[in-house]
Amino acid sequence: MEDTAITLLLVDDDDVDVEAVQRALKHARIANPVVRARDGVEALDILRGTGGQEQITSPYLILLDLQMPRMNGFQVLEQIREDERLRTSVVFVLTTSQAERDRLKAYEQHVAGYIAKSNAGADFSNLVEMLRMYWRIVEFPPVETAV
Amino acid sequence: MGSHNEHTGDGAIERQKLVRAGGLHWVHWLVVAFSFLITLGAWHVSNEQLTKRIEEKFQREADQAIEMVRERMMLYENALWGAVALHDASDSVTYPEWVTYANSLHIDTTYPGINGIGVILHLPSDDLTAFIAEQRRQRPDFNVHPEHSESEHWPITFIEPAETNRAAIGLDMAFERNRHKAIRRARDSGDAQVTGPISLVQDAKKTPGFLFYAPFYRGGAKPRTIDERRESIVGVTYAPFIMQKLMKGTLSRQNRQVHLAISDAGSVLYDDTQHGDSARQQPRFREKVSIGVYGRTWDFDITPNERFLTATSDNQPLVILAGGIAIDTLLFGLFVLLSRANRRALAYADAVTHELRIKTEYLELTNTELDQFAYVASHDLRSPLEGIKKLATWVSADNADQLPEKSVRHLEQMHRRITRSEHLLDDLLQYSRAGRKDYQSHPVDCGEMVRGITELASLPAGFTVDVDPAMPTLVTPKTPLEQVMRNLISNAIKHHDREDGTVTVSCRDRGAQVEFEVRDDGPGIDPRFHEQVFKMFETLRPRDELEGSGMGLAIVKKLVERYGGEITVESDRDRGTVFRFSWPTKWPEKS
Repeated sequence: MEDTAITLLLVDDDDVDVEAVQRALKHARIANPVVRARDGVEALDILRGTGGQEQITSPYLILLDLQMPRMNGFQVLEQIREDERLRTSVVFVLTTSQAERDRLKAYEQHVAGYIAKSNAGADFSNLVEMLRMYWRIVEFPPVETAV
Repeated sequence: MGSHNEHTGDGAIERQKLVRAGGLHWVHWLVVAFSFLITLGAWHVSNEQLTKRIEEKFQREADQAIEMVRERMMLYENALWGAVALHDASDSVTYPEWVTYANSLHIDTTYPGINGIGVILHLPSDDLTAFIAEQRRQRPDFNVHPEHSESEHWPITFIEPAETNRAAIGLDMAFERNRHKAIRRARDSGDAQVTGPISLVQDAKKTPGFLFYAPFYRGGAKPRTIDERRESIVGVTYAPFIMQKLMKGTLSRQNRQVHLAISDAGSVLYDDTQHGDSARQQPRFREKVSIGVYGRTWDFDITPNERFLTATSDNQPLVILAGGIAIDTLLFGLFVLLSRANRRALAYADAVTHELRIKTEYLELTNTELDQFAYVASHDLRSPLEGIKKLATWVSADNADQLPEKSVRHLEQMHRRITRSEHLLDDLLQYSRAGRKDYQSHPVDCGEMVRGITELASLPAGFTVDVDPAMPTLVTPKTPLEQVMRNLISNAIKHHDREDGTVTVSCRDRGAQVEFEVRDDGPGIDPRFHEQVFKMFETLRPRDELEGSGMGLAIVKKLVERYGGEITVESDRDRGTVFRFSWPTKWPEKS
């Protein structure tokens, strides 16, 4: 497990939230690499290694915000599920929206979980705790290079 | 929306009824037709009665005219019999005696109908010369004329007044068949008799007339057989009539309401019909009677004259007809007006309904937009607020030991305001959601509900909530009612100024609604602020002293009004506050 450290892809336009997650990880002494994308376009570039971005290495886990400029979270989800190489990605939605509509739409795109920021605990501590448990016990999809 | 459609359905039926009422119903037509028939009937009956009345009147007038002619004839007959009596009383009446007698009759005034009264003596042919000679002793110019071939003579011997009857003196009645025949009839019957129509010799105008004879015999009495009468006849008293004169006086045209035409065997005796008299041409009534008059038959032809028509002209049937038709027309007009008013009202109602629908749609749209705005605004405001909150936390966490005491306090104040903003946003969201959702109605045990609220609210120690044991079970959406109750109860506790207190929840039946009461023994609310407490963002205490967004009662009011109720606050400023709100006992199921 240690060999294949899971990379965390944070897709969020809110710097404060991103820093909050990073602070929480640091506070929890989690040293997994963190890559940050400011919107959907940047996230897809990172996932595909396009647009001058360095491609993210598997295994990875995506924390996806829904409301973002240029390309929102749902559009990103759609692209991922249509992309042969990306469709197995593990995606958590991390958003301020608690609307039923949004929840339904997200799960229709097979997200691993839908997390409202307001429920993520003080300073995202619950979120980080969940992530720690998650990648400790959950088997990720097989890494492409290993096939 | 469902209930709205339902109302439209009911409305459509009601409207259809009004549309039908807006036209002329068959009942209206029936009433008008019936009324018209009654009018026609009344007119007909009245007309019949009038005709009958006129007929009776005409008959009376006709009978009266005939009767008067008869009476007049009898009057003259009596005069003649009077003269006969004179002869019966004296063997031979001399000329002076006769003059005296005739004068005493005052013919001019008493018997205006006759031209005079005279005596005709009967003479066999042989006696004529001796008779003339005898008469000439007193009247030298006396002569019997004209000559004829009959074997007997009936000369007019005396006639008074002599002046106007000069032409008749000595006239021999046997010279002419008509006169002769009638005089023999009188002789044979012993009764008074008249001639057929003749022109009197003394009438220059030669208008129709007749002679009236009454016979007298030797010995005074009327012999029993015709032979004896012929044997003993002396003469006749006579009166010449000019018909025009007979009809004067009470029988004159002016005193009658009928036209009178009398003819004898086809020749006209009298006819007062004026030339071109239309009433005569096509008379509505006509009476033709033949009356035996002293040996002759007079044919009476009686028709109404103008005076009759005027006297009997009665416009009652016409008045009835015109009045009835006027009433019918008014009735019909009234129906038309009513139905038109109905149609107009309907059109107006339609217009107003249409206007109202547009306004309602606009209002609904505006409300939806407002709700959406409040939702989006509170939602979008939340993210930056969250950021600020985190940043403030990090500033104090990262630099706790380096910050001056003043900055630490500022950061704390910042935190409190951030928290309040969050509450405000939460409540704004709740307010915008309040009543937006249509909940299903269920039977709700209100006592159970209030006890549930109390348990979940985890009351501060020292506080109790007393629930009326007779709380009702309503059929209503539970969530909004529960929210109202919770807000009121928590409000009462939150604003309490002591460590212990009691909140009492009770209920009263108000028919279609129940009235809930939430009473506390807190500090009370100054009546000056009673209006304010239900407004958004209004609190009566300093912001930092109590965590209150000021939305609680606004939400309560909105919910109560959403379900057709009312909320009031009562407080005497001494102790305690009472909130009363009404809630429907049965909220219609969503259809």
